[in-house]
Amino acid sequence: MTGTRASVDGAAPYLRAEGLTKAYGATVALAHVTLDVAAGEVHALLGENGAGKSTLVKILSGIVTPDRGTLEVAGRPFTPGNLLGARAAGVSTAFQELSLLPNLSVATNLMLPHLLKGVGGIASARRNEQAASALLQEFGIDTVDPRSLIADLSLAEKQRVEIVRALGHRPKLLVLDEPTAALAEPGWLFEIVERLTAQGVGILYISHRLAEVRRLCRRGTVLRNGRSIATVDLTGTPDSEIFRMMVGTSQDEATHAVPKRRETTPRLSVRGLSGRGVHQVSFEVGEGEIVGVAALEGQGQRPLFRMLAGLEPISAGAVSIDGKTADLRSVATALKSGIGFLPEERKTEGIFLGLKTASNVSLPILERVRRGGLISRRMEAEAVAAVGLQVDLPKRYQGMRISALSGGNQQKALLARVLVSGARNLVLFDPTRGVDVGTKQVIYGAIRDFVARGGSALVYSTELAELVHLAHRCLVVYGGRIAGELAGPALTEDRLVSLATGHGDLAA
Amino acid sequence: MSAVVSQTQVPRFRRPVLGRLLGSGTAMVIAIYILLMVIYALFQSDALSATQFSDQLSNGLPLALAAAGGTLVVLMRGFDLSVAGVIALADVLTATHSSDGPMGALLTLAMVVGVGLLVGAVNGFLVAYAGLQSIACTLATMIICSGAALLVLDAPGGNVPDFISDNLTGNIGFVPVPFIIVLAVLLGWAALKRTNWGVGIYALGADETAAQLAGVPVRRVKFFAFCLAGALYGVAGMMLTAVTSNGDPGAGTSYLLLVFAAIAIGGTTFTGGRGGLLGSMIGAATLMLLQKVLFSVGVSSFYTGIGQGLIMIAAVLIAAFSARLARRMPE
Repeated sequence: MTGTRASVDGAAPYLRAEGLTKAYGATVALAHVTLDVAAGEVHALLGENGAGKSTLVKILSGIVTPDRGTLEVAGRPFTPGNLLGARAAGVSTAFQELSLLPNLSVATNLMLPHLLKGVGGIASARRNEQAASALLQEFGIDTVDPRSLIADLSLAEKQRVEIVRALGHRPKLLVLDEPTAALAEPGWLFEIVERLTAQGVGILYISHRLAEVRRLCRRGTVLRNGRSIATVDLTGTPDSEIFRMMVGTSQDEATHAVPKRRETTPRLSVRGLSGRGVHQVSFEVGEGEIVGVAALEGQGQRPLFRMLAGLEPISAGAVSIDGKTADLRSVATALKSGIGFLPEERKTEGIFLGLKTASNVSLPILERVRRGGLISRRMEAEAVAAVGLQVDLPKRYQGMRISALSGGNQQKALLARVLVSGARNLVLFDPTRGVDVGTKQVIYGAIRDFVARGGSALVYSTELAELVHLAHRCLVVYGGRIAGELAGPALTEDRLVSLATGHGDLAA
Repeated sequence: MSAVVSQTQVPRFRRPVLGRLLGSGTAMVIAIYILLMVIYALFQSDALSATQFSDQLSNGLPLALAAAGGTLVVLMRGFDLSVAGVIALADVLTATHSSDGPMGALLTLAMVVGVGLLVGAVNGFLVAYAGLQSIACTLATMIICSGAALLVLDAPGGNVPDFISDNLTGNIGFVPVPFIIVLAVLLGWAALKRTNWGVGIYALGADETAAQLAGVPVRRVKFFAFCLAGALYGVAGMMLTAVTSNGDPGAGTSYLLLVFAAIAIGGTTFTGGRGGLLGSMIGAATLMLLQKVLFSVGVSSFYTGIGQGLIMIAAVLIAAFSARLARRMPE
């Protein structure tokens, strides 16, 4: 509670949190957090993973009750007993780990938990679909059929539906938790945010993307280790200062520089690869090289990466590694061929929530840590500790259940699992999705170290800035084909955007 | 939110009908049932007669009701083993504590539903509010109920009133009473499925955390699902007594695994959130029909179990295959 305390001139705060404290057993998740959001303000909540943002979101959503402290909404005490209580008080949340039900339709998801009723108090599918359709249209995503199942939507569509659901409750305070993590085109959200703030809705905006935060928010509150460090005027505060407050030390600016690539021989070579949504894709990734992949939503990057991982069938073309044809019929054979894949949806495709962190990491090497047919816990721990160093995963986390770790640390553990497998070619699909600045740096570092030791890495990211910083060269996928390739000084966000939107001529 | 709704045009989207049909387990179990029926008709000349049909309905009804109840719990990714205990208890109570006449039957119905609700409430409380594993709690209540059944009647026997054994398996006009009961359950489910509670069952079966974040009162939904399941087991037990005209404290045991087989054949997945009561009831009918088919074909009844198991594997295989096919269908 040191530092500057910027405030919105004149307007009384709509949300006021004073000294919020919440502990889980011995772990203090929040300690004396103080924060206010004015009506019509987009207020940023900044902090690393594990800083307490999730807990604050849960408190505002009515899922968790704080141990101490006061909350006021519109001048009245805000003590929601549950999620519905929070909604009734005008607070609704679009959650980061999407809270949609995959087996139900978009319409039902939007209407839950109280469906619109028709004759005899029975839910009317037609009325619910109409209401959902009206809602989807109002917020500009009428390309989504209200009758389709959530499971059939892309991740970006799911994220949009999640946001629209929160909007449908007509909140006076909207909490957006990493709302653009899966959106390659966040412009849609920015328009909505502007519309809402014009109507006087207060928004608490949580994002790891500082550029985005700067565009939308004038003020922001920084959390660190469960404490609110400061509320700052973002326009007057440089990035380095914000990082310093988030991490506690100054960010090393030098990490942005791309290390020079050595002239190399191709490791991973893809020739004329075709399949569902992918047409005749050819490229190479050399030894010691990080190749980025940029694309807007649904341009075929997802099936392309899944093909390389052995998750999706290949109809034509060939992939070879070090000159040998890779067998990509299954994940196991892909791994044996030397491809280590980091999947997109951490929660459903990546981790085993019920297992310890160490067990999650050591899965691919169980063969190697066996002694006399049984898994040796000591050998497992040694192997995991070694790879844990590479990804900066503290040793004390390794014995904990992975579900108890923050999102960023889970991602580190997943990366550790890919690294420990001994694969020489990394295929990473959005490796920094929804993780904080500090973790991002660790992940970049781990990827760079990996290629410096002779590996190769293919990285897709929804954040173009990240690709520009990280990759030696960058492929742009558009309409299932490689639309172009940028390297060196030509590798800029602007050029990536023109290629990714199908305007290759402008990029040339 | 609803004021402007009526003026809005719903944009036109093509509905993937074929894909949806393929993905539905119910369509598959109906196909299996029809196939078996055709085989049965080829070997048994009166297979399609009204008497045969009515007979099949009566014999299949206890299993169908029990499977319907079990489905409610399986949809929530739970297991309810208490089905065997409640059937036994309801069965012996019907055989020992019923008086004749329509009023007597009604009182018996109230009794078995009450017992079922009580056991269901205990299960529901332990699972939903105390947060215990459903398989462990319901195993305990199954053992308790089976024990209680032995206290009520320690050996097969009892005295079943004629009204129950005749009328519950007979006809009203041309319509078999079991058919009316099936229809009542299905209509009731069709309505309940479209309530907040019914949708809540599917929601929390798919993802409990997400359901909670969507505002579904998870514990209450669970609790009532166990209660309703218990009530259906109770009615199943009463129907069993009516069909066999006899009380048997060990009656539930043979039903335990068949209930889950019927649910699986009916297309309800044990991973929760997919399926429904109709499929499970047809699944139950399929299992019973298979016994008759094997008999009419001349296969010894010792092979019934093998046949039922094979049908179950086939059903689960087809379900997995058709679900994959449905996913590949172009939109």
